[in-house]
Amino acid sequence: MAERERPKWADWADWVRERDDPKIARTKPEALDDITVLDLSYKSFAGCYCSSLLAEFGAEVLRIEPPQGDFIRTCTPYGMLYKGEGLNYLTEGRNKFHITLNLEKSEAREVLKGLVSQADVLIETYRPGVMDEWGIGYEQLKEVNPRLIFASITAYGQFGPTSKSKMPDYDNVAQARSGVQYDTGEPLPEGKSYDECPWAVPTKAGPWICWAEPGTFMAAGILAALHWSGITGEGQALDVATAEAYTRFDDYAALWYQGTGHINERFSSLDTALWIYCFTPTKDGGVFIGGLRLEMWQAFVDMLGKWDEWGAAEWKALAPFMKEEEQRKWSALVFAETRKYTNEELVRMAVEYAKKGRLAPITPVVAPICSPEEAMKDANWLDRGMFTPVVDPVYGELIVAQAQHKMTETPIRTKWVCRPVGYDNEHVYLNYMGFGPSKLKDLKEQGII
Amino acid sequence: MAEETWKDYKEKKHLKPKPLKGIRVLEVCTLLFGPSGPAFAAQMGAEVIKCEIPPLGDVTRSLNPFGWFMNEQGPMFLHINPNKYWLALDLHRPEGQEVFYELAAKSDIIEDNLRPGVMEGWNVGYRQIIERANPSIIYISKNGFGQWGEYAEEDRPSNDGAAQAFSGYSWMSRFPEAPPLKNRIWLCDYYGGLMGEVAILAALHYRERTGKGQYIEVSQSENIMRAMSWVWPYQQITGKGAMPAGNRDVSICPADTFRCADDTFVAIAAPAPEEFKGLCTAMGKPELDEDPRFKDHLTRLKEENATEILKIVADWARTKTPDEIEALAEKHGFAASHVYNAKDTVEDEHFRERGFMTEIDDPLYGKYLDHEFPVMMSKSPPKSKWSVRPVGFDNEYVMKRVLGKTQAEIDHLNEVGALGKWKDMQGRRPPPDWDGKAGLIMARE
Repeated sequence: MAERERPKWADWADWVRERDDPKIARTKPEALDDITVLDLSYKSFAGCYCSSLLAEFGAEVLRIEPPQGDFIRTCTPYGMLYKGEGLNYLTEGRNKFHITLNLEKSEAREVLKGLVSQADVLIETYRPGVMDEWGIGYEQLKEVNPRLIFASITAYGQFGPTSKSKMPDYDNVAQARSGVQYDTGEPLPEGKSYDECPWAVPTKAGPWICWAEPGTFMAAGILAALHWSGITGEGQALDVATAEAYTRFDDYAALWYQGTGHINERFSSLDTALWIYCFTPTKDGGVFIGGLRLEMWQAFVDMLGKWDEWGAAEWKALAPFMKEEEQRKWSALVFAETRKYTNEELVRMAVEYAKKGRLAPITPVVAPICSPEEAMKDANWLDRGMFTPVVDPVYGELIVAQAQHKMTETPIRTKWVCRPVGYDNEHVYLNYMGFGPSKLKDLKEQGII
Repeated sequence: MAEETWKDYKEKKHLKPKPLKGIRVLEVCTLLFGPSGPAFAAQMGAEVIKCEIPPLGDVTRSLNPFGWFMNEQGPMFLHINPNKYWLALDLHRPEGQEVFYELAAKSDIIEDNLRPGVMEGWNVGYRQIIERANPSIIYISKNGFGQWGEYAEEDRPSNDGAAQAFSGYSWMSRFPEAPPLKNRIWLCDYYGGLMGEVAILAALHYRERTGKGQYIEVSQSENIMRAMSWVWPYQQITGKGAMPAGNRDVSICPADTFRCADDTFVAIAAPAPEEFKGLCTAMGKPELDEDPRFKDHLTRLKEENATEILKIVADWARTKTPDEIEALAEKHGFAASHVYNAKDTVEDEHFRERGFMTEIDDPLYGKYLDHEFPVMMSKSPPKSKWSVRPVGFDNEYVMKRVLGKTQAEIDHLNEVGALGKWKDMQGRRPPPDWDGKAGLIMARE
């Protein structure tokens, strides 16, 4: 990489990197280190993810679990544990202090009120009504701390006709409810049945996006509420329903239905609204090719050496290519051509086309479809600090995705990845509640902590 | 109690203040990744001035599903640009750049989504802004690969599909026997935009404490990789690549999408002890709860056991309708939902009652339902109010209201081409039924 050609704007790249390289993040201040967050989330990765985002910015997050630990710790691929811990939880315990408190007991709820009076934010994910029944709902806790931001993330939200549902919140069900899974996937091939093609069905995303994304929305909501509380001195209750949060990303399908009654259906890895914009097979895998303008489609055709044969010079508009049947026809032609090349060849062809092609600097976007294994070895992301191992005193050297926000003044950082259940009881209860070792022992014996 | 907090939320939200009132954002963004973040801020009440290059503006105005436009406008453009003010400012021209400095001096946040170096080339990069206009600005650039590193310096273009491909996200989101699948929505655009807003609001908090602004860079691939949880430590620990599993959740068992009697689909999840017991009872097989293969969650998650229990649930689901399964889930306390399509999301009573599917009553585009910012805030609710505008529609408003310019000064800026108006083409001009006045804030006559 050392001898790579530098762009005209290399001076800017160097200036930014000197200030926001994750390698120097630890030398910089933290944006939220004046904020205390209580994370009571249970059976919800959305809550954990939300508090992680705040903890990455330096907020002091007290993760409060029942004495037996949060069920979410057992939600781990194939039941696999690493040093006693589930792999998902390992990625989102970052920078948090882990304490236990048995909220089923009234004494424990008094302890919680003590913590609430010293906190800015509380995150919870119990079914609507549970916190109220325990006497620690928003209306009750705002008496203890009027500035409290009380953030709830649930399947259906705190109000509305379905909010009384007894159903818990899980990622795959929220994905189904969001309108996005329905029209993502391979259409059933003509004349085939689902029994023959069990993969040609509405297909959800692999990662827990319907937990990560609502958690991210809530983090944004909490920060906006903090800004507002800074002006007014008032806290408030915030409410995220996971399926709703993901539906916010469902771009045009709702408007299309209202305008015409059309229900958007699965369209493979093509795009209903763009051409050329699809995954295409190659000799050794597949790439994404993308261009939103006619010139980019022409550039791609030119790059494949089909400029004359396909009559690209005569094309006047992109619109005719975007129709459903045209997309199917042209994609079949394109797929046959791209199968002649490897991923790397096509990527290089696009980079070279930008320099020397007939339509340069216009070039199609060509990106290899990487497995996560390839992504994790990609020198570009390694250089940018995405997979720098965290050295954790309990779990050793561990790779979690991090450093996604590069910032010159208050960069995020991952100081430790996780903690076992109740690991920080001693320090946190002494610091916040003045409970010394003997008091803590009593509370443990009474089943409160 | 919660009833008290949220009583009449939808009806009363316009009687309450906005959380980001008083925050001004300058947007120099196109497509989805760029404009989504400022849209979220605008729904929360920030004043977002969207700067477009006249006379064509944002290319998203041209996008459409299979040729359908809503009143001549691209539906994705409508969906991702609520509540903004529309300025057509030619940043190629020195006079346009001067106007941008004047606006930057009065703004809190600048957002761009151009390739690295482009804003500097227009003299409105971060270094120029802090030197010439506003030393405490919070300035964010969102693009495919960030501002430095191999891919960025190759000047590679990017977009949502590229990020879905590069990150491993699409590779993981499919059935093992089928090729990688591009998610139908422009997920990495929206998600990167949302993560950008989190960084901006954290930076705003820091600025309120210290007076210091900063520069932020966001890559759409990096942000979606952040959301992929277990795959990274799994690969490190096992030395094997993570594998896709279709609709099955390999971390939660049972959790999958099942085909029902009527050939429609239902998603079910029932991992916790009481939920699993409820599902077994609902299936009329309470003895499964005692089966050693399924005795606790970690045991059930093991490949051979998961395969068994998922087959049992699948066979049962084939005999039921989604409605029947949803009713049983409600009764027995596990999670289930039929797979919602566009009609379901638009017509869902719950979404409407909560004001999530919220009515826009727009002077130019009329009445329609669209998605509210999905964090309900009891005292300072976010709210979508108006739709998009033609290129340069709010020039006079921004020049007079924000910069205090006289009409003569505005005329001059028009003459030199610093300001501009829409081209007479689809998506750029007002909709065909526009009366020449509706939606204009100033200069209606």
